[in-house]
Amino acid sequence: MVKAVNGQLVEEINRKAAAMRRNVIEMGYVAGDRGAHFGPALSSIEIVASLFFGVMKYDPGDPYLPDRDRFIQSKGHACLAYYAALIEAGFIPKDLMYTFKADNSFLSGHPSRNMKYGIEISSGSLGNGFAVACGMANAAKMKKENHRVYCLVGDGECNEGLVWEAVMNAAKNRLHNLIAIIDRNGVQLSGRTADIMDIDIEAGWNAFGWEVLVVEEGNNAAHLLDALIRMKDSRSGKPHVIIANTIKGKGISFMENSLSWHARPMNKEQYEHAIADLENG
Amino acid sequence: MSHISQEKLQEWSKLGHRTVLGETLEMLAAENPRMCTVTADLTPTARLTGFKEKYPDRFFDVGIAEQNLIDFSAGLAIEGLLPFVVAMSGIVPMRCAEQMRSAVGYMNLNVKVIGIEAGVRFGPLGNTHYGMDDIAVARVIPNITVVCPSDPLQVHKAVRAAAEYEGPVYVRLTGGPGFPVLYPEDFDFQIGKAIEYRPGRDVAFITTGSLLAEAVEAADILAGKGISARVVDMHTVKPLDTDMLDTVFKQNKLIITVEEHSPIGGLGGAVAEYKAGFSDSPRQVMASLGDRFQKLGDHEFLLKENGLKAPELASLAEKSNG
Repeated sequence: MVKAVNGQLVEEINRKAAAMRRNVIEMGYVAGDRGAHFGPALSSIEIVASLFFGVMKYDPGDPYLPDRDRFIQSKGHACLAYYAALIEAGFIPKDLMYTFKADNSFLSGHPSRNMKYGIEISSGSLGNGFAVACGMANAAKMKKENHRVYCLVGDGECNEGLVWEAVMNAAKNRLHNLIAIIDRNGVQLSGRTADIMDIDIEAGWNAFGWEVLVVEEGNNAAHLLDALIRMKDSRSGKPHVIIANTIKGKGISFMENSLSWHARPMNKEQYEHAIADLENG
Repeated sequence: MSHISQEKLQEWSKLGHRTVLGETLEMLAAENPRMCTVTADLTPTARLTGFKEKYPDRFFDVGIAEQNLIDFSAGLAIEGLLPFVVAMSGIVPMRCAEQMRSAVGYMNLNVKVIGIEAGVRFGPLGNTHYGMDDIAVARVIPNITVVCPSDPLQVHKAVRAAAEYEGPVYVRLTGGPGFPVLYPEDFDFQIGKAIEYRPGRDVAFITTGSLLAEAVEAADILAGKGISARVVDMHTVKPLDTDMLDTVFKQNKLIITVEEHSPIGGLGGAVAEYKAGFSDSPRQVMASLGDRFQKLGDHEFLLKENGLKAPELASLAEKSNG
């Protein structure tokens, strides 16, 4: 069970998570009719915040820092959560966030590799980010480097055959420096994951030789931080996966668990409602 | 480069491009500690057993999983390694085109993909094992350079050049056991710079891959009939050597592109795309595998069926030249 973790650190993560949620709403709203993937970004906020502000090593002044921990957002459609973290971590100047999805902006609707701003890889065509992350972890192991590779994967993304190709290979190569986190929010583009492809993700990753940990409250920073620390400290020698049961659209009342807020534009009234939700916390 | 002896060239000619590849990869590994080889269960077929034994820490077999083959290698390249992906041209790049686009091409990564047994070399194995579309798939992806070497020494030099080149490269290998030595002496090989193998003022054969040998023989046949045929070794299909094409457009009145590939998207297509910008360029005829699945048969039978042997190429030139 969950043990007590550093209370101050959890508080800091929660503060960052709140700021990130606000960034997500601001960026998504400024995209106007171009719309944004609100639901899958909001479900993963605490995961990304726990990584960036709880466990990862990096330096926004030196994006190429050789021993930085790598964060790969394989579920690239949730890029708003990633950009929100990069803003709060100091990689992306805050004023640039209003260029999200704008003509000629680098803040595309799925991440495009841009090391200046800390964006490690291009992703969004599902399955690819995770498979590339496995290659990056393998390279680090081969070069005897000590950093870790953290990879955020969607539960719908686990429909991709490529995910399982990479899962097999990572287990074979015993990539102990790789920690995948599955944002299990239960909803994918056209419906609930249980209706579209009802697979037992936990059993699957277990069967393929990974060390698996389920976090029942996947939007709870204390629980996530504890799980991440346990995986970092694990001596199983296996690659690790944390399955975080999250709430799609978490934090915005009319988006939570909604099938209609996977991706869409937000109007002024909805924006004001969302901001009020965040301010009333 | 390390010197390649005449004996070695003759041995490579006898054994085919896979042996040249396997031995060249071992040479590269000895020279460059970042170089590694990645395959999807093709070790003995691709002559990688020696590499695996000598460099086990730099040899990766991802299992029969071609999408991951490419993405895994992309991850290695991001972290500064120099991965050579070795695969069958009939499977890769078509099977993993999206990974080659989204990971390798889009991020412009230093991944080298080698497609062995391109064209219809796998004759009796049937159409699922023919590489008839690999140039088209690789060529349509931005940033990817496409190289199709023609003889044993050029295979060696092309693989070396790919290692030295910064960025993604697809190297397409044709020519099985017995493919002839066309470059017996060392020569200047540069990616993107075609080689005028033989001068000629009437017809111009523009070839890619091991069919260069057939075009040279066809030029001999034509010479006996008073037709002067230029032969251009267009070993790099992307980027095309447009300086060489400009010269051909000015000096020859008929172009025959020769390739062991579909006429769609390969060398013929690439030349036609460039030629479309000229109001008064020579006529182009494409010698290719055609836009069709093939009959079953051995390599020589299929080349003849498709008009890609020297006598058929000479006849095509003679007929089209009139």
